[in-house]
Amino acid sequence: MVFARGLQLLVLASLTSVVVRCDRPTKPVNLSCEAVQEEKSIFKTITCEWDSSGSQSESVPTTYTLIVKKTSTDEIYNISTQLKRAELDLDTYPNHMNLDVWVTARNKLGTVESDHLIHDANYFVKPNPPSDVQILSENGFSTSLLINWIHPINKVYVELKYQIRFAPRGSHQWTYVPLMDTAKYIQSFRLQNLQPDTKYVIQVRCKNSVYDYGYWSDWSTNATNRTPEDRPTSKPDLWRIDEDNQQWQIISKDPVFSNGKIKSFEIRIESHRSKEWGSIPVNRSDADSSTGNREITFLKKMQIADDRSVKVYVNATNSVGKSPEGLLFIPAKAQGGVLAPVEDLKVWPEGGQLWVEWNAPKPMSVQEYVVEWVSGGWLDWQRENKSTRRTAIKGILEKFVCYNVSVYPIYSGWLGKPARTEAYLEQQAPLRGPNVKLKGDPGRNEAELVWEEIPLHSRGGFITNYTIHYSSGAETHNRKVPANITSYRLTGLSGGTKYDTWIEASTIRGSTNGSNHSFTTLKYAPGEIEGIVVGVSLGCLFVIVTIMLFCLYKKDVLKENFWPQIPNPGESTIGNWSPDYPLRAEPPKENCLSGISVLDVHMCDAKCVFEEDKTSLSLKKDKYLSEEHSSGIGGSSCMSSPRQSVSDSDEGGDMADTTSSTVQYSSVVASSGYKGQTPSSQPQQSIFSRSESTQPLLDSEENPDMMVQEGSRQFQHFARQPRFAECAGNEDTADFDRLRMEPQEANESLDFCPLEEDNEQIAPPDRLSAEWLPVKPASSYMPQLGGYRPQ
Amino acid sequence: MNGHVKNMYFHQFMTPTTLLSLLLLMAVDSTRTVAASRHQQCAIALQQTLKLTKLVQTESVNLIKTYKSSQGEMSELFCKVSVNDIPDPNISGLEPSERIVSVYTHLQAFNSHVKRVYEQQTDLQLPTSPLLMELSTVSVRSRDLAVLINSFYQSLFPNLPIPEPAGGPTTLPPPQNVFQQKVYGCVVLKTYKGFLSNVAKELRTLKTKVCRRGTQTNML
Repeated sequence: MVFARGLQLLVLASLTSVVVRCDRPTKPVNLSCEAVQEEKSIFKTITCEWDSSGSQSESVPTTYTLIVKKTSTDEIYNISTQLKRAELDLDTYPNHMNLDVWVTARNKLGTVESDHLIHDANYFVKPNPPSDVQILSENGFSTSLLINWIHPINKVYVELKYQIRFAPRGSHQWTYVPLMDTAKYIQSFRLQNLQPDTKYVIQVRCKNSVYDYGYWSDWSTNATNRTPEDRPTSKPDLWRIDEDNQQWQIISKDPVFSNGKIKSFEIRIESHRSKEWGSIPVNRSDADSSTGNREITFLKKMQIADDRSVKVYVNATNSVGKSPEGLLFIPAKAQGGVLAPVEDLKVWPEGGQLWVEWNAPKPMSVQEYVVEWVSGGWLDWQRENKSTRRTAIKGILEKFVCYNVSVYPIYSGWLGKPARTEAYLEQQAPLRGPNVKLKGDPGRNEAELVWEEIPLHSRGGFITNYTIHYSSGAETHNRKVPANITSYRLTGLSGGTKYDTWIEASTIRGSTNGSNHSFTTLKYAPGEIEGIVVGVSLGCLFVIVTIMLFCLYKKDVLKENFWPQIPNPGESTIGNWSPDYPLRAEPPKENCLSGISVLDVHMCDAKCVFEEDKTSLSLKKDKYLSEEHSSGIGGSSCMSSPRQSVSDSDEGGDMADTTSSTVQYSSVVASSGYKGQTPSSQPQQSIFSRSESTQPLLDSEENPDMMVQEGSRQFQHFARQPRFAECAGNEDTADFDRLRMEPQEANESLDFCPLEEDNEQIAPPDRLSAEWLPVKPASSYMPQLGGYRPQ
Repeated sequence: MNGHVKNMYFHQFMTPTTLLSLLLLMAVDSTRTVAASRHQQCAIALQQTLKLTKLVQTESVNLIKTYKSSQGEMSELFCKVSVNDIPDPNISGLEPSERIVSVYTHLQAFNSHVKRVYEQQTDLQLPTSPLLMELSTVSVRSRDLAVLINSFYQSLFPNLPIPEPAGGPTTLPPPQNVFQQKVYGCVVLKTYKGFLSNVAKELRTLKTKVCRRGTQTNML
């Protein structure tokens, strides 16, 4: 119990101590007070601030009391606040009276007091800035300006000291007059060692003159004036522009210390035998001269001969006087090589500037160096002393612009040979890419691209490489080429494909794509179509020629096959035969049918006969076929379709079968003459005839006896064979087969086309083919053994 | 050599005469330091008093201008009228102490009259009148000046209390009419301005006399 009670008390005490430590007011520190001027005196209110590490607590708020006590009179003024700043009304600001100022911090847990500030009341005073500051420029004092101002407050209140600062107009760098020169109760001051003809901005402020008393006032408003002019104290900066190899433009910058507005340049040119003088007036507005940049004036154009050196002297003149003489000696071209250039010239960007470094030429002694930078139509230069080896270009340079930087050594005024290089202050990706186009027409598998270099003003930097992109839609390819290449031949392209191509130009800072160009490769290589056409044409021609030659050389064969000459029965001996006329035996021809006799044989014998006939026959199978084919041949259109003739059918099959399958339309009677034999002059008793008619033989025709009687008529029949055949040609080809009838069937009535008695059809006897021999008149065909083979 | 021998030499060196001389020199030096310090404090105090005197003097000049411009017509004539019982602007006495006391007592007298003028003008002017503010300011600074004079005197003559004025405290005029008040006020301010000018002169004179002679005076 006791133990528990004690533990409770201990915990409570701990908590209390923690609370106390947290909420006790902290001592205000860094107490500072300020009394500002109001109108002609010091304002009666003093403003004080202090710091306190503790923060306000809602539960235990801290109240600060600012207390000001006049130590001489023991009068006390105070004000309370919960802030860390307070303004205290003192009725009348007690100038020249000692004050004791402090702050107390109080809360429920205690009070703490700050350190006391015990000072003269003027210790806290901040006066107003000096009023009505005026700058006076006096002729004859070109390097001086007089500053006047009015005290902001009567010295009976606060005795002040002043501070002055000034800067050339446009400059943000102030120059402070040493405090010891102005720490007095003064109302004017003369600035000296200024630049003539220069606008200056001046400010003044003040403070209690007692050491370490009070606060500086604010700076007065800017007061501006220009120092008077003086004659130029430095020489003009002469230079030249090399417009072309024969003509130079002499230019000049104003002297560094122009000390006034330059009104004219006096120029003197000396060459080998001539001297020229001239005065070039300068028309320049005040706005131009106020920029602060030294103006460049074009003085004179000169023709420079290769063998002449020129000396140029220039003075700049303002309203007060003339400057020292500037000079530039230009050697003759032949002599220029003697004046060696600098070595190992390097230019690089660093820290937002373009730095130039070089080594002195050996072993000549250089008077000074001129660093020149040119971009487009703009040129500028600066001079460096002879000991300089590295410098930064002081002019205003633009980013992403290519500068031609040159360093010229000057040898006792003579212009040496330059060393040159190109540089960028800062590079970027090109503003635009190159425009690509095709050179000529694309091929099937290749195309030549060509592009122009990007204009210098759009380049943005040194081009490191080009990347050629080409895409067929399905895939994209690219090729990298060096920057000095402006054409490229693409190979391995697909024929008949549309390609999109573009060029990407790259610098060290990025890349830019150029315009897109599309082209389609040829489907066929040039000449391929022509080759094909020519080849095909040649082939056709060859075939035609071959055919023609074949036709030419084998025309007999062709003729035999395609246009068998159908002997005109009318012209045959049979045609001319008549009972009154003996049969004139004609010598059998080699290739003609001869020795054909109609035999009345049995089937087997017929077979033999037929075989003999075949051998004896010079008629070829083809001939039959072709004759059968031809509808115009003798009008045997009935045989228009290829079909086997009787002979064919005979060849193709069993003779017996053949015999049985064929329709006997002719019967061959053995005669004394076979092929090759010369028929005797004796009239043949046996007559033979052969007909290519597809009609089955009539009985009369089958009986040879009947044939003799009807000899003449049969010739007519034969003569009409084409027509006959023609009639039969209208029927189906199967009709031919039906004609191959059994002999017994031959007796049946056959469908024959009606024979027309037409004398015209009778061919003249001399036209008769030798194949046709007179047939036995008035005898019908002998029935074939085996008969017709039914279909 | 042992320490005993050293001590013997030291003792032979430091004779009583030498020691006495040394002590005397130290005393004189410390006295001079104190004197210099006193002189510096005297000068500072005197300078401060002089500055305040000049301030009040300047403000009194402006006050008169403001007063005249606040009294309407014929204000220029008011200051030319002779008024009785206005404190003498001249400082009396032969010795610095006497003159400082004279300055102090006159200040006290003028402060009473300035206070009276303030009270009268309070009835004659608007509450926001700048005259009242300037009168108040001059009155406050006059009191401060009196304190500084007293403090300065005390620092110079700590054993000489400031005696009471011979004729007793200054006599303020009886109730006056407006015209009399205006005349009275102008005369008081003009006279006070003259007095402050005399005070400034006196303090400049005392600067050379009192602060350098402070040590001698104290010693006396």
